[in-house]
Amino acid sequence: MQILPPNNGGGKGQGYPSLASSSETFEQQPTGNWRGVFSITSYTQYFNIDTDVVLNRLMGSLSPIDGSFFSKIVVNPDIYGPIWISTTLVFMLASLGNWATYLMEKHAGKGSSWTFDVNYVNVAAIAIYGYAIAVPLGFYFLLQYLGSNANLVQFWCMWGYSLFIFILSAFPLLIPVEILRWIIIVAAGAASACFVGSNLRSYVDGADATIVVIAAFFLQMALAVFIKVWFFS
Amino acid sequence: MSQSHSDTIPLHASSQSDIDEIENLINASVLSGPATVLPARPPSPQRAQIPVSSSSSPFIPSNIPPPPLSYQKPTPVPAGPPLPPASSASPGDRTISASGFGSAPNTLTEPVWDTVKRDLSRIVSNLKLVVFPNPYREDPGKALRDWDLWGPFFFIVFLGLTLSWSASVKKSEVFAVAFAVLAAGAVILTLNVLLLGGKIIFFQSLSLLGYCLFPLDVGALICLLKDNVILKAIVVCVTLAWSSWAAYPFMSSAVNPRRKALALYPVFLMYVSVGFLIIAID
Repeated sequence: MQILPPNNGGGKGQGYPSLASSSETFEQQPTGNWRGVFSITSYTQYFNIDTDVVLNRLMGSLSPIDGSFFSKIVVNPDIYGPIWISTTLVFMLASLGNWATYLMEKHAGKGSSWTFDVNYVNVAAIAIYGYAIAVPLGFYFLLQYLGSNANLVQFWCMWGYSLFIFILSAFPLLIPVEILRWIIIVAAGAASACFVGSNLRSYVDGADATIVVIAAFFLQMALAVFIKVWFFS
Repeated sequence: MSQSHSDTIPLHASSQSDIDEIENLINASVLSGPATVLPARPPSPQRAQIPVSSSSSPFIPSNIPPPPLSYQKPTPVPAGPPLPPASSASPGDRTISASGFGSAPNTLTEPVWDTVKRDLSRIVSNLKLVVFPNPYREDPGKALRDWDLWGPFFFIVFLGLTLSWSASVKKSEVFAVAFAVLAAGAVILTLNVLLLGGKIIFFQSLSLLGYCLFPLDVGALICLLKDNVILKAIVVCVTLAWSSWAAYPFMSSAVNPRRKALALYPVFLMYVSVGFLIIAID
């Protein structure tokens, strides 16, 4: 029996969006409609981004002093970048961390006791995803409390892109020389922390801004040190 | 048929038209048969159905006295479709299904080997469509018309088991990580394409990503048997390239061309991470 259910694009979850339902993706979700949480169409606005824009933002995340990142994303903050940068970083830390441990043991002479530690994946996932989700959330609430107007999606976007430097620095960290590894991680951590700090300062101008900026700086440095100590020791 | 109702119980005005509409739909579906889209291969026989005697109407008016005037609800009272007479039923009797809708072979009482053989042949044909070169590859509409989830399930479990066998310590954690990454990865990749504004069908995409794991399964099996690191690296690179080639046309045609790389990069990332797991586990 081919009785069709009423095809409301707002209520259905992510099952079977056939070609005919593409017109439903343009209907406006009424604000305050709780069913929008379970519908894909209410999240597509955060993925409305092209390849060249993503590359542009990635390059922009590498410049620590500029402070102009928010002007890039204020119109169209995307969540695609933070999600896949975090995922790539988790994979990099797990795989290159294992490889670095292997190289370190071979360099030290006793290469027979190394086995692939699959726990690196778990620890990396919890650390990176936890950091990328919780820290911007915390700063959002802090800034709301302090009175300035903050946008949570833009915070997630900025902190997510700030992790890109760590992906690039994961490769040089393979070199099994301890001093070199510390230099690399401190440099990468400082660059990333300056990126976060300068962007926060350009976002929130006020008397309490300094403490907020310094707190963000130190959190980013702490993440860098944790990465070095846990994965590349 | 509808005229005979009026002399026993007065139905509500709108419900009579609803009953007519539903009857028309039943008749139309019996006449027109299954879906109008031609599949790439003969469709599987219809699923088992509750046997219904075709001579009965589901809307049999009952003989209860007319309801009080204030109570205008219609009396649907179908006592259920009448069961086939008990005298003709015997264990394993195949005539019960003959009176169901359509004339599909009965899948409920066929030998188990027939069912398994049908599913296996479907897996093999889907595999040939997805992973090996064939003229339908460029058209995602035809590529996996008759998708199923058995094949992807077998491939994911096989890959997890192979990795677990290869590992010398923490075997169960390796299986758990591999299975979780592959299963969650397939779902997340599909959601990624949908969020980027692409047009795919959710389960068809899950099915396709599962079938594209077949080359990595072969690679993992070879790496299980031969433990040389250089050989493993070469085998993994070759099978990785094969898997990516298999998934490329489907994923890239589903999204806007300006976002093609955004849709393809996560697929590549997942296969590289699985490939790395294969090399590193020893």
